[in-house]
Amino acid sequence: MTGKTAKTAYNPHHDMGGQSGGPVIPDKADDPIFEQPWHKRVLGLTVAAGGMGVWNIDMSRFRRESLPQQDYQHFTYYEKWLAALTNLFVVNGFVSRDELIEGYQGPLQPIQDNIMRAPDVAAILARGAPSARPYDGVAKFTVGARVTTRHPVDTLHADPGHTRLPLYAANKTGVVLFTHGAHALPNSNAHQLGEAPEPLYAVEFLAADLWPDSDTGHGDTVIIDCWESYLETA
Amino acid sequence: MVHAMPHDHHDDHAHALLPPEPALRVKALETILARKGLIDPAAVDAIVDLYENHIGPRVGAGLVARAWADPAFKARLVNNTDGILAALGYGGRQGEHVVVVENTRECHNMVVCTLCSCYPWPLLGVPPAWYKSDAYRQRAVREPRQVLAEFGVELPADQKIRVWDSTAETRYLVLPIQPPETVGLPADQLAGWVTRNSMIGTGLPQAPDTAP
Repeated sequence: MTGKTAKTAYNPHHDMGGQSGGPVIPDKADDPIFEQPWHKRVLGLTVAAGGMGVWNIDMSRFRRESLPQQDYQHFTYYEKWLAALTNLFVVNGFVSRDELIEGYQGPLQPIQDNIMRAPDVAAILARGAPSARPYDGVAKFTVGARVTTRHPVDTLHADPGHTRLPLYAANKTGVVLFTHGAHALPNSNAHQLGEAPEPLYAVEFLAADLWPDSDTGHGDTVIIDCWESYLETA
Repeated sequence: MVHAMPHDHHDDHAHALLPPEPALRVKALETILARKGLIDPAAVDAIVDLYENHIGPRVGAGLVARAWADPAFKARLVNNTDGILAALGYGGRQGEHVVVVENTRECHNMVVCTLCSCYPWPLLGVPPAWYKSDAYRQRAVREPRQVLAEFGVELPADQKIRVWDSTAETRYLVLPIQPPETVGLPADQLAGWVTRNSMIGTGLPQAPDTAP
């Protein structure tokens, strides 16, 4: 299960919670929803392509995270989406690398059966893709239970692998605030290893425990949604 | 920007009419996909139209206003969120599982997604640039009070902050405290006080026409 990555070397570039950073620049009232016209097309293409049902949201997120370090750092938001979407089309065999360079030279193809059509858009988006799943096991933790997170590396199902446990919350103890029922497990689902649903918990951590070196007074807390396999009894 | 319009004035600067690289890349990809029958360009138009013109923070503001005006609705919104949203037609993509977190004098709630940019699309639309920025993703969980200061918000020292990191498919919507001067107003007027940022937790309700 666990990948080969050493815990000390684990530093995925998308996992940036708790790092120091520059100022946050609030937007202005008249800022457009889409800064550039091409941003709209990237969003529209990404949503439409997701509707094919060939890849799930966890695979999609994993593709964005898997962009090379320098691309992830230098691309703007929608460039990351575009690059990851392109990779999804290529790795799933829909578009070749030659076509990306030369263009598609073959005959014009009719729109295929599983492609999202304009009249269906509103209904498909209104339906969404819920991640909640039936579960016939017994949830291991109850509200109020003290739990300790594992290290993200120890939650990976592939190498390289996808996880939704942030590094800043590695090996930290918190309390189960409430449960969300069972949900598909991204660590498995991102790698087409099955949905493997597990109970999901909202776990509350004291900021003072997450960052003992920071001046975090006030009793402030951080809540992280954790799948059961991210947690051990404290 | 794709400024293809000819200029009707002369100046000393040469204007490159070639669109920027990402615009060309997305056009290239869309062209390939359309020619291979892998995309319906009209569906892409429809998706953009929905998020640009129909789905946005006014949806969430309407819910908050109704919750302020009607305690029974508030109880149902907090306790049976997905049921209420489905009944009102506000469920769907990136809002399949919503939890409403209510601000109190003792506790202020604030939402982030440190790992990507998870956000309740059906209730607030697509996220603003700052929500997706590295700076917000890095700092919101560790120094929320400093981040709030950058939004012009200062909380009482005895009001604790709960920061919700959206690591699963659960989307969090903050139910802000109703400003005392608005008590008794009808829901349609209350909605004007509900700013988008007040539903993320980086702002507070404000008198209409004073804030985004």
